[in-house]
Amino acid sequence: MSIKERARELLGGEVEGVLGYRIVGGSHLPQLFTAADIDGMAEDYPADERYPLTSIVRRLQAEDPGIRLAVVARGCDERALIELCKQGQVDSGCIVILGLACDEELAQRCGCAEPFPSEIMQGRRVEGVPEDPLVEKIERLPAEERLDFWLSRFGSCIKCYGCRNVCPLCYCKECALDDAEMVERGRVPPTQPAFHLIRALDMAGRCVDCGLCEEACPMGIPLRALFRKVGRVVEDNFDYRPGRSSEEKSPLAVLGTEKDLE
Amino acid sequence: MAENDNGKVRILAFLCNWCSYAGADLAGVSRLQYPPNVLDIRVMCTGTISPYHIIKAFQMGIDGVLIAGCHIGDCHYIKGNYMTYKRFQVMRDVMKFVGIDEDRLRLEWVSAAEGEKFADVIKGFTEQVEKAGPSPLRSGWEKDPANWESIRNAFKPLETRKPA
Repeated sequence: MSIKERARELLGGEVEGVLGYRIVGGSHLPQLFTAADIDGMAEDYPADERYPLTSIVRRLQAEDPGIRLAVVARGCDERALIELCKQGQVDSGCIVILGLACDEELAQRCGCAEPFPSEIMQGRRVEGVPEDPLVEKIERLPAEERLDFWLSRFGSCIKCYGCRNVCPLCYCKECALDDAEMVERGRVPPTQPAFHLIRALDMAGRCVDCGLCEEACPMGIPLRALFRKVGRVVEDNFDYRPGRSSEEKSPLAVLGTEKDLE
Repeated sequence: MAENDNGKVRILAFLCNWCSYAGADLAGVSRLQYPPNVLDIRVMCTGTISPYHIIKAFQMGIDGVLIAGCHIGDCHYIKGNYMTYKRFQVMRDVMKFVGIDEDRLRLEWVSAAEGEKFADVIKGFTEQVEKAGPSPLRSGWEKDPANWESIRNAFKPLETRKPA
């Protein structure tokens, strides 16, 4: 059964809305479908048109707690939902996941380690890409060159906030990046490296490696390498990977026990 | 604290109110000698220190950041220093990755009775930071290296206020 068929079935009473895509002017744009307009839902999911549908789920649930939704979710979207649920931002009890596996092209281009959700409804499971060569390349540079590398990349930032706004895990109502104490107002490029380090450290124990930030960045800053490294730091120190399981708690969200400090 | 500190490394020390600040006090009343290039920020608990504060310190041109709190198990808020330790581990590794010498950040447990340890930590950390040299973020973006007063003001909201 394809995602669209299943969506139509679910709209028979199980859910009130389905988050998917509609083709507008040749582009796939996110839309909330109901039983009345489900016919307009796109059936294919092109690799280069991804949106953080999970952020829309979070907003809809905040406006209308208890709303029952189905959402088309790739591997990264599912991980984001798991993480958002653990942090009390969404109620996964009211969400039906329509699992979409990414194709070879997208998996390779994204360099994704797990380009499939836990239950695949549409698409075929392809193997992920385990390592990011850029992270390793940066690690091998001497310290001064590493700093030069990052400062030159951060220096091209035009402060569009695209990386933050597209991020499915950036949900704070008050953001440190809007705080004049942390990031001076009216200055482009923004205070660096503070601007990007704030986000990097906030992503510790959160980033699900969806890659939307880097895709959104008009200046091509290799944000993903930074956030991937942060993810690896958390995994190496605390054996925690965001979105892996809904049982484990993020080490930076709980105080923990003395054993956790070893 | 020395006013004319040009050329010297500048260290910001976050001290927890209950243990390390008292330890620093003990070092002071015991007349122990330690380098004067440290600005101490008294916080209620090291757990109140967010990575933002550390980033901000480095962004302002501080050469080294010391965090000193109660020993594990002695935290007056039971587990505040657990979080400090976890954040420290992440902060240190991320600093290394972006090319800021991770030796510029240090976490120490100093109790109220450890005045001597406090003096030793400051001595040792100053040497460590001197070895790393002035911070590469000191010049460049910031035209005027921030002076002690503006740094103190920047961290005022975090600081524990003395009882009136």
